[in-house]
Amino acid sequence: MISTENLEKHYEVGPEKVFALKGINLSIDKGEFVSIMGPSGSGKTTLMNIIGCLDSPSKGDYFLNGKLVSELNDDELAQIRNKEIGFIFQSFNLLARNSALSNVLLPTKYAGLDEKKSLSRAKEMLELVGLSDRTDHAPSELSGGQQQRVAIARALVNKPSIIFADEPTGNLDSKTGQDVMNLLKNLNNNGQTIIIITHEDNIASQSNRIIKIKDGLIEVDNKNV
Amino acid sequence: MILRESFESAINSIKANALRSFLTSLAIIIGTAAVIAVIGIGTSANKALDAEIDEFGVRNLSIFAGQKRRGGVSSGASPLTLKDAYALEKVTEHNWLVAPGIQRGRQVQFENNNMQASINGYSVNNFPVRGFNIEYGRLFTEKENLARKKYVVIGSKVASELKTFSRNLLNKDVLIGGASYKVIGILKEEGSSGWQSPDDEFYIPILTATSRIAGTEDLGWINVGIANDANVDLVMMSIEEVLRRQHDIGPGENNDFRINDWSQYADLRREATNIFALLIAGIAGISLVVGGIGVMNIMLVSVTERTREIGLRKALGATPKIILFQFLVEATILCAIGGIIGVFIGTFLLYIFASFNDWPFAMPFSAIFGSITFSALVGLIFGIWPARRAAKLDPAVSLRYE
Repeated sequence: MISTENLEKHYEVGPEKVFALKGINLSIDKGEFVSIMGPSGSGKTTLMNIIGCLDSPSKGDYFLNGKLVSELNDDELAQIRNKEIGFIFQSFNLLARNSALSNVLLPTKYAGLDEKKSLSRAKEMLELVGLSDRTDHAPSELSGGQQQRVAIARALVNKPSIIFADEPTGNLDSKTGQDVMNLLKNLNNNGQTIIIITHEDNIASQSNRIIKIKDGLIEVDNKNV
Repeated sequence: MILRESFESAINSIKANALRSFLTSLAIIIGTAAVIAVIGIGTSANKALDAEIDEFGVRNLSIFAGQKRRGGVSSGASPLTLKDAYALEKVTEHNWLVAPGIQRGRQVQFENNNMQASINGYSVNNFPVRGFNIEYGRLFTEKENLARKKYVVIGSKVASELKTFSRNLLNKDVLIGGASYKVIGILKEEGSSGWQSPDDEFYIPILTATSRIAGTEDLGWINVGIANDANVDLVMMSIEEVLRRQHDIGPGENNDFRINDWSQYADLRREATNIFALLIAGIAGISLVVGGIGVMNIMLVSVTERTREIGLRKALGATPKIILFQFLVEATILCAIGGIIGVFIGTFLLYIFASFNDWPFAMPFSAIFGSITFSALVGLIFGIWPARRAAKLDPAVSLRYE
């Protein structure tokens, strides 16, 4: 599903090139639940941005579902993000002035999907995350755990092939964090590919593959932990 | 769907920052209100002018005495006389109303009150030519004119000048220059037009005036009333022909009289009003552009403030075009709402101004439509830069923006 070949990313700082990724070869299959770990500055965020199609590599190829996406333009990348990828963020990133339901609906609007179908799909997703009684609530009226579950429903609404979760439990207490993890594990058990970025061992250990990044390279790749 | 989402998020954002949005569009509101009020005032002023001309009923040419010249040497004034008026009356081809007149200032007394007044000698034609109508009593007749009756018709405000009421004066005698005149009629209020105030004046038969007050047959003017659609040039030529013959002016010599076409002045006045209104509207329009700069400023702040939101929208699949569109819509709506509020305020101002001046209320639809469109356009144009900045934001960077 995901495969990268010698993925490199460098930034030009004055006359010097600073390498964030120095050649990543990675392949992730459908249905995997992968954790990416690494200290800050290791390049894990850059890697996440590239495989999340938020950024393009300087060098190397990235195939998503057999498609070479590393050379797509901004509009095409936006479409891939819309249809193939669902993002979950540490700080939830819900639109504060919109209800839970319209937050979940946002990606369907960018996809230009049929309004009625989108509405029933969005409600279905909110039900899946256990918030069917909170559809009209604004984010400020929801707890952190509930907000993150709205974000998960939003990530799922366009049936993406991959879910990217960037420190999804970072802003939650351990109990609600575990609830969110259980939800993600559940989704994975139903075949959803999930890639999670975390620095917490007890979170990473709940996935079935741990990739550790250091200095722009893969240091450890443990399958079936 | 994208369109609706853009509108919804624009409205949401304007509502969420209601005070800021209001202050931002204040310049647009004031600008539009000024443009609308000025254009409306110009239009209403012209409507009032039209009404004034319509009140004349007929188009009015005025003939005045001028200098007699022979070989470039002025040889004194050459008066207009009653004979000239009679000569004009004989010409029937234009169906004109010849209305000779004369005016003198005299002291007028009624009981213990007196006033200094303009006494007009009017032929009966003068009333329809000026568009004067009777309120109480009646006008004098040609027969009474020929009989040099000491009858007087007075303006509507004369009574208050003499500290009494119009009806008290009717059929009473007033002293004009010491001689007793019977008030037989009181005119309706005409309103002052320019330097004249017909409501304060007295009107006696022209022959009474020439014989009893002025002591001369030299006239002050001859008004010629013609139909509104008459060929003015042709009428003027006829008048010239008659008067040149009357005054024995040879070929190549200059006229010793002047003919004024009052409606020409009305045209000039209308044109001046239009130019003035356009000029002020243009200046007010500049404030719309200044307002646009304010909108641009705030939109740039808004883009920076909402960097994370923009990053999120991009992560969820919004293309640069969609983001561009969203911010353009926001700037345009902000200005269009300002424009609409401005139109209401401007119309209200015009309404007050028109009522105070007793003008008809006239607001061209094109001005309303035009100024709302213009303010929306200002928003669109000044929204381009902020919107492009938003569209160009790097999603990965902006998602992590604090």
